[in-house]
Amino acid sequence: METAKRYPEIELANVGMRYSSDASEVNALQEISLDIAKGEFVSLLGPSGCGKTTLLRLMADLIQPTSGSIKVSGKSAKEARLARKYGIVFQNPVLYDWRRVEENIALPLEMMGVKKSERKRKVAELLELVRLQGFGDKYPWQLSGGMQQRVAIARALSMEPEILLMDEPFSALDEFTRERLNEELLSIWGQVNNTVVFVTHSISESIFLSDRVYVLSPHPGRLSSVVDIPLPRPRNRETRNSPEFFNLIARIRGSFEGV
Amino acid sequence: MKGLRFLRYGRLLPAMAWGLGLLILWEAASWYLLQVRQVPLAQSKLPYIHEVLSAFAEYGDTLVQEGAVTFGNAGLGFLLGAAAGALLAILMSLSKWIEHLAFPYAVASQMIPILGLAPILYGIVHDERVARVLIAGYITFFPVSINMLRGLRGVEPSALELLYSYAAKPWNIYFKLRLPASLPGLFSGLKIAAPLAVTGAILVELMGARHGIGVIMLRNLYYGPSHTYMFWSTVIVGALLGVASYALIGGLERLIAPWQPEFRDKGGDRL
Repeated sequence: METAKRYPEIELANVGMRYSSDASEVNALQEISLDIAKGEFVSLLGPSGCGKTTLLRLMADLIQPTSGSIKVSGKSAKEARLARKYGIVFQNPVLYDWRRVEENIALPLEMMGVKKSERKRKVAELLELVRLQGFGDKYPWQLSGGMQQRVAIARALSMEPEILLMDEPFSALDEFTRERLNEELLSIWGQVNNTVVFVTHSISESIFLSDRVYVLSPHPGRLSSVVDIPLPRPRNRETRNSPEFFNLIARIRGSFEGV
Repeated sequence: MKGLRFLRYGRLLPAMAWGLGLLILWEAASWYLLQVRQVPLAQSKLPYIHEVLSAFAEYGDTLVQEGAVTFGNAGLGFLLGAAAGALLAILMSLSKWIEHLAFPYAVASQMIPILGLAPILYGIVHDERVARVLIAGYITFFPVSINMLRGLRGVEPSALELLYSYAAKPWNIYFKLRLPASLPGLFSGLKIAAPLAVTGAILVELMGARHGIGVIMLRNLYYGPSHTYMFWSTVIVGALLGVASYALIGGLERLIAPWQPEFRDKGGDRL
């Protein structure tokens, strides 16, 4: 992991986000500066209202900051989006009801004008990657929540994005499914090796997955601490039971107490 | 298999029992009015169902022929109206400006009673066929337009953001998301409109035409009690045409948009 020379892929400098209406002004995010290197897995962690999802949406160019700058590989977030550098996974799978699983996965490829035979090959590969072989011809509603979210991940990966942005993708799932999907996500990431920004409100999830956790606190949303996660990879069930893991949980939980 | 059995015992059997029960009740009530209460013109009020059916059998050819004329005109008007409605919905979804311009008129058009509009229209075009087609289309266009517009507009924001994140072109957003998402609305509009289009066509026929189920309906009504059974037969044909049009659209919907929640197998293989 440490061998490759790293340069920042995502750079945020003094990013702020204010929502103003006639009556009031909400400071959703204030003075956020952070660098994420290529190939890193980082989490944005914090309680509801801390602006972590807003931060992700800013990186994705779904919204624009009211101050500061966001650079992706040295270019603006908008340019990165237009260059299709982002794969996004939302909290809900957001699968299209009228498309079978394989057609949902192929959606971004259709946008890119990828040929049908190539799409087919790619989708088969992705189904295998997210371990959904044999489910390609099902409709989304025929799958469980966990499987739907795996389809959403496959769809996000289909255009081989340099950056995978995930907004609490497993928060609607039960803890058992979530832990299993965490492990699967790491194994997928081990194969595709892109940069991942993962939003979560679960301390243990953020530690288990990430190289680094950005802890945010609310009112106004700001970066309260940055915690490196030196746990060895590959991570698995034993990782969760290791004393280092518990120490990190305690440390991050402690960082919230001052808030 | 499970689904089939559900259909057989859960829906078909009760439906048939209901139908049979209704027929028996009808026959009994008819007999009661005629024989027991001895109501004047009892058969015009509620004729024996078996007499109606025998008139139906005797004049089946005519009924089918005239019914087909009505259905054909209603169908043509329906298609034109549906196309116009869908087009207007698409235009309104593309531009608020067009919506503000067209919507009030679309609503106002529905305030004009068909009963009044039909003779006016007939007076203008002076062609029974064109008048029928136009009225059927006129009835169809509004429910189709309104329901489809709702589907086009009511797309989940995150479904849109997804396409935005792919840097999708505007036409892709339309063809891959908005149009498919509008199909349920489009079909509910079509299902409302289809029987109405048939009724509308019959209405125009009542005002003067040479062919169509409405024509023989009116003729047999004029002839009085001696033609009661035939009159009732035409009413039943009219109803059947409405049912057929609804069923046709329903079948088409299952074919074109089978992914909707109401078509899902309840016991489905959720894994």
